[in-house]
Amino acid sequence: MSAEPYKVADIHLADFGRKEIQLAEHEMPGLMATRAEYAESQPLRGARITGSLHMTIQTAVLIETLVALGAQVRWASCNIFSTQDHAAAAIAVGPDGTPDDPKGIPVFAWKGETLDEYWWCTVQALTWPDGEAPNMILDDGGDATLFVHKGAEYEAAGAVPSPSETDSEEWVVILDKLRDSLADHPGKWTKAVETIKGVTEETTTGVHRLYEMAKAGSLKFPAINVNDSVTKSKFDNKYGCRHSLIDGINRGTDVLIGGKVALVLGYGDVGKGCAESLRGQGARVIVTEIDPICALQAAMDGYQVSTLDDVVGQVDIFVTTTGNKDIIKAADMAKMKHQAIVGNIGHFDNEIDMAGLTATPGIKRVNVKPQVDEWRFPDGHTIIVLSEGRLLNLGNATGHPSFVMSNSFTNQVMAQIEIFTKPEAYPVGVYTLPKHLDEKVARLHLDALGVKLTVLTKDQADYIGVPVEGPYKPDHYRY
Amino acid sequence: MTTDAARRYRSVPGLAELGDGRISYAERSMPLLSALAARFRAERPFDGMIIAACLHVTAETAVLVRALRSGGALVRLAASNPLSTQDDIAAALAAGDGVEVFARAGVDRDTYYEHIALALGVDGAGGAVDADGPDLVLDDGGDLVSTLHTRARPATLDRVRGGCEGTTTGVLRLRRMAADGALAFPVIAASDTPVTRLVDNRHGTAQSVIDGLLRASGVLLAGKTLVVAGFGACGVGIAESARALGARVVITEVDPVRALDAVLRGFLVLPLTDAAPIGEVFITATGSADVITGQHLAVMRDGAILANAGHFDVEIDVRALAALAVGVQSDVRPHADAYELADGRRLLLLAEGRVVNLVAANGHPPEVMDLAFGIEALTLARLARQAERLPAAVHPVPSDIDAEAAEMVLAALGTRTDSLTPAQRSYLASWRIGS
Repeated sequence: MSAEPYKVADIHLADFGRKEIQLAEHEMPGLMATRAEYAESQPLRGARITGSLHMTIQTAVLIETLVALGAQVRWASCNIFSTQDHAAAAIAVGPDGTPDDPKGIPVFAWKGETLDEYWWCTVQALTWPDGEAPNMILDDGGDATLFVHKGAEYEAAGAVPSPSETDSEEWVVILDKLRDSLADHPGKWTKAVETIKGVTEETTTGVHRLYEMAKAGSLKFPAINVNDSVTKSKFDNKYGCRHSLIDGINRGTDVLIGGKVALVLGYGDVGKGCAESLRGQGARVIVTEIDPICALQAAMDGYQVSTLDDVVGQVDIFVTTTGNKDIIKAADMAKMKHQAIVGNIGHFDNEIDMAGLTATPGIKRVNVKPQVDEWRFPDGHTIIVLSEGRLLNLGNATGHPSFVMSNSFTNQVMAQIEIFTKPEAYPVGVYTLPKHLDEKVARLHLDALGVKLTVLTKDQADYIGVPVEGPYKPDHYRY
Repeated sequence: MTTDAARRYRSVPGLAELGDGRISYAERSMPLLSALAARFRAERPFDGMIIAACLHVTAETAVLVRALRSGGALVRLAASNPLSTQDDIAAALAAGDGVEVFARAGVDRDTYYEHIALALGVDGAGGAVDADGPDLVLDDGGDLVSTLHTRARPATLDRVRGGCEGTTTGVLRLRRMAADGALAFPVIAASDTPVTRLVDNRHGTAQSVIDGLLRASGVLLAGKTLVVAGFGACGVGIAESARALGARVVITEVDPVRALDAVLRGFLVLPLTDAAPIGEVFITATGSADVITGQHLAVMRDGAILANAGHFDVEIDVRALAALAVGVQSDVRPHADAYELADGRRLLLLAEGRVVNLVAANGHPPEVMDLAFGIEALTLARLARQAERLPAAVHPVPSDIDAEAAEMVLAALGTRTDSLTPAQRSYLASWRIGS
């Protein structure tokens, strides 16, 4: 086991990172207010948090908030391309350190990791210097949670299974890493699932995994589904993607979006934000859906709703937003227009079949610039794939803006405090944050926007049967 | 003044009070005309002059007519569309304002042209019934000017100092007259100023065409495929409004520049033959003729709704529709007729294919008409004062009138703007100064 205190691309980027962190702090009023509120009480004192979440400038503000609340933190990114190297450097150096004398937190992340490096980083973040595991996980996509659970499962089984031929390249790497761990530290993960008080999960994909595990009875510790806080999914997923999707497309391709035909695959919160921003740029947007409710929403919002098969030959820009796999297959890409742009903004890189594309006989990949590849088919037509099919708003641009992430991350901090300080209230299972905390997160962001809130009179509050100070809506309310 | 009272006012009696209330209501939203009425009252630019006007007889038109009356004009008003007259407004103008009104809703074609002739001081057969023809004419679609040229005596034409035309359709017609050498006096194209294109065509038409469509059909636009034929100033406004209401909008165009603009705004542009089978609502806004023809009607979806936003009823081929139909159910809703085709499909024609925002709704909101009419009133005052008649041609509105109208409206809205500094003026006027 390596004893490196941190691993980043270039520690000398720390000054630049710190400047951007300071700019971001102003745009993250929820996190800064949380630091002020809990400066005295230090609710996370004693927490050892492993974070697996895109190592960006905004995440740096989250990390330093957790530290300000008393936590010890170790961090890895949850995507091989999403790390901002200056953010990682600044976190490693810390506000009081220098590149020659880093005093920050152990972070293991750089832009452009291999899959092997990625899982090595995850293991580093999960392993305290004493060899022990964390007692809290802050996850985005569920990779840290998955690794710990699989470790415990294979320890109980006595061995890590051999990969089968149909396993993905990534799964083979995970099995390798677990095999090393079982050899070096037998019983480590069995103990970890006992000491970990819980996980707070950031995104749809990870939440989906958690509910599956809970349903199967394999979930070993409680989880808070941060994704489904209203101030997360309705804001981060929609407004964040609305901002960063076209940013990524522009930086990656510089193509004029106006007049183009764009296909948004999936019309959930992410798809809604993507469709709106593409339309705002003058693209003619077509939507695909499998869910009749979302499809009807798209139609009522004035979008053509069709199938990939029907329109694949007329689309200039493809964006997958589904959270599902095998959305755009190699055979689809073979039928696309010359120089069609293909990108994914869903969490994982399995929405676009990159393996199938790579395996297409006679295909040639030409790297245009980092995270932009032109793939030439034998018939001569090419397509442009952004970020190798990984989420392009992070790969080609800088992800969601700070203000949006302040909403998501304030939810994360609230969720960490909930599980860490009230373990008795959360037996093993998957929970969402109570409504009053969701409303609190929103409230913390109003002043910065100059919003003036109207206050219910007692009489009005009684009339609709809610407390004057909230919560104002029933749990099933959909906003 | 020999026209007898019964012929002068061809309107349903007893409505004047109702109309008067509606004119006062419109006046509150027409600050430009109110300001002009006060100015005209002091300056009397039209003293002793006869103005013959052919306009949609609405509350907003009445405010214009009153402003012209304030300037000393005798106004003779005919309707510019057989269906668009609001009878209460006609009654109020005739009763209280001393305006000679020749208009009634729902008249037939012959009566419509007879009314125009009467406003010009000629009778239906072309003879003179009035020694005095108009000094100024105010037209909306070109029927008045056309009738004047075909029916009036040369002396009557000589007397006309000039005219003003308020629609794109009328201007196109006047340009053809001028090209033929047929135009006998100068006409100012008031539909064609930068300000009217922006406010009247783009914003006014957008809102009122949607209003007419909704009132006549009751259709929910969200989720519907709506085809707009023509992407001029009117079409742009209609398309953007319909999209904001959730419709999926398809554009048809003949002009590549307009089509490119539509594409870059994210609209699907198709030939009408391709749009016809997929559209659920069709709105024509071309100013041209024979836009939706029998071949298109034949392939439309069951329940398709047809409406025209162009000035004349020639954009949708209503005869072809009637020929295709095996039955017509009139007025399934007010201003909506259902045409049943042989295979059972039903097509819904709104406002008989006439301009839907005026027939099925109340036309442009008063704010929009305020600006358009204000420009026309300023233009007529300029023509009235002109010492020498302009050449007999179609002229643009002088740009200072356009700017003056915009300034007066901004002042009424309480909007403040910046002014160029002397240094900025000299920078903009110079070619020597670069970076």
